[in-house]
Amino acid sequence: MKKVQVIPPDDYPQMVSKSDAAKMARALRSPETAARGAQVIQQAGQRLRLAVHDYVRELESAAGNLPLVFEKAHELRGFAETAGLRATGRIAAGLCRYFDDMEKLGATPDKAVVALHVSAIARAAHAKDEAGRMSDAVVKELAALVAHKLAETKAALAG
Amino acid sequence: MPGPAFETLRVLVVEDNQHMRSLLRSLLNSIGIREIHEAANGTAALDILREKPCDLVLSDLSMKPMDGIDFTRDVRQSPRSANPFLPVIMVTGHTERHKVEAARDAGVTEFIAKPVTAQNLFTRIAEIVERPRAFVRCESYFGPDRRRKAQEDYAGPWRRHGDQHDLQVP
Repeated sequence: MKKVQVIPPDDYPQMVSKSDAAKMARALRSPETAARGAQVIQQAGQRLRLAVHDYVRELESAAGNLPLVFEKAHELRGFAETAGLRATGRIAAGLCRYFDDMEKLGATPDKAVVALHVSAIARAAHAKDEAGRMSDAVVKELAALVAHKLAETKAALAG
Repeated sequence: MPGPAFETLRVLVVEDNQHMRSLLRSLLNSIGIREIHEAANGTAALDILREKPCDLVLSDLSMKPMDGIDFTRDVRQSPRSANPFLPVIMVTGHTERHKVEAARDAGVTEFIAKPVTAQNLFTRIAEIVERPRAFVRCESYFGPDRRRKAQEDYAGPWRRHGDQHDLQVP
């Protein structure tokens, strides 16, 4: 029999008392609190976008260095959308997924596919209509390209 | 302002991206939390925890030299840990299954996938405050109970010491 000790919440120190917990949870779930938080993110938007542009420059400079490209793309994936650059974040997320999927297959990412993503990220991050239809189309096209390349790689590995 | 109880909370933000750190600090400030410490990686975070007790940690996953998974494991398992029950919310862009499972197995309390929204963050904090999880200690794990919900229709094997005797797997 595996010995497992279960320690209930009452048996270890909690971050707040029970009487405060319900009040705090209510406050945290209130629409007013969410709105105030959303405003904080919106107010930080311009500063965050400048930071995204810095990361994009670093991403472009990393060309050819795949581990560094992945690192920078990963930063953008987690950060661009919070900065209000939705398409930039989605393209970066697509690139990260491509890296992950290729790693799972034990294959090296195709440099041309990576370069296309990097170029699309740079264009999207500076586009006036960042989240517009054109960006959506680019996201879809790149996703289709990645799906095709993954299928090609799988077939090559199987054959 | 959500209330005075927030003013007594001490939070540690562990994140290598200074812009993200600053944003998380501002979000925590917006709910009235005043005492916020910052670290750029797991090693620096452990140093801070040894000096300053905290009630909650928000941690990124991918950092150097120590990432959020090793940091969480140290908080839970190190004999030098000031509080092995410390709630840890992992805030990360790494949503691949193996990374999420590694974070869970290290003892992370909650998980937030980036991009961060205020509502996501506040809801996770509310979960921890309102429904603190039992902790489990066994040979290979110490951390919050990974079974988040009671599954009355669960048909698999029962392995825990406290599970129903007639269902236990020897």
